[in-house]
Amino acid sequence: MAVRSSSEDLFDSILMADNRFHIEGYREGFEEGTRQGMIEGRNHGMLHGAKLSAEVCFYHGFALAWKCLLQNSEDVKARKRLKAVESLVGLIQKFPYEDPEYENLQEDMEKVRAKFRQVCSLLNVAADFREYLSGSSGMSF
Amino acid sequence: MSWVKAVPSSDDVFDEDMDDISLQNKEWKCNMEKRVKDGYIDGVDSGKEVSLQVGFNLGYKEGAVKLKSIGQLKGIVSALRCWCQSQPSRSSVLSPITELLQRIDQHEQDLVEAMRKAQERPPPSVSEVAGDLEDMGVEQSDDRGGSGCCRKDGDSDCCRKDGEGDRCGQDKDMSRSLLISSRSSFQTGESLEQLLQSCMELVTEMGLSEELTFHIQQLRHA
Repeated sequence: MAVRSSSEDLFDSILMADNRFHIEGYREGFEEGTRQGMIEGRNHGMLHGAKLSAEVCFYHGFALAWKCLLQNSEDVKARKRLKAVESLVGLIQKFPYEDPEYENLQEDMEKVRAKFRQVCSLLNVAADFREYLSGSSGMSF
Repeated sequence: MSWVKAVPSSDDVFDEDMDDISLQNKEWKCNMEKRVKDGYIDGVDSGKEVSLQVGFNLGYKEGAVKLKSIGQLKGIVSALRCWCQSQPSRSSVLSPITELLQRIDQHEQDLVEAMRKAQERPPPSVSEVAGDLEDMGVEQSDDRGGSGCCRKDGDSDCCRKDGEGDRCGQDKDMSRSLLISSRSSFQTGESLEQLLQSCMELVTEMGLSEELTFHIQQLRHA
């Protein structure tokens, strides 16, 4: 009996040691993995945030500038153009593009893009304009 | 063969059981080391799983903020350029506007490139830093065309063969330290402030509305 229980104890302690070492390694690895994941995730996220922000803010600046330019214009088309530009500004101002957890990020982005295209066509600038989007043309969304 | 070599190294050569015990000890140790290692790998996986999304969200916000001002400025100047193109009387400012737009575009690309580099090359452990700096020094003329002695495209070749020209040696060290600082803070050759200043000068020169100047000034604090 005594022998048996001691061998059982031994078996248990081997198993326990086995677990203990695994847990010990796990803890250390978890810490390192958390650190690595933070860095990798951050670097990855930064690029995504930067690209989306660059695109949205480009539209924003574009619309704001046109708004200023059109306000003093006596062109007959100015009113209609101004309205479209203002609506683009409004769309962007309501768009929380800086929040990666915003659930409609992609959909709203598409709405902003569509509005921008509409504005460009109203302003007659679409054709020779694309080349200046070089920075954002390589973006993958 | 390693166990054969291991035996003579044992201190207690008179103990007959020693070989067996030391072998068993070795095996035990080896197994437990493997357990630790397995645990470590599992731990790294779980740790990453937990933190990747958190890191992504954090980085996303940072990246979005970093590109905000330059993105808007690029939009503003692009609009100005389009507007001038449509007005024959404004054709004289077209070339300074285009030039400014190119500078802005370069600045934006530099910012993104710095982030891309950080992504491709995760922060090294301390022991890797020395070698890493060497790599960056060599790559320097590629990723920072606008700095130091490599400003003119034609000259960049002479700098790429690093260390060979005495003239370049000093500059290389200087631009290397510039590069290191740019890596940590994403500062690039030309500052946003300079670009904003140039833009405001242009807007004033064109006699455009105060409101536009106001928008540009706002970008300083965005």
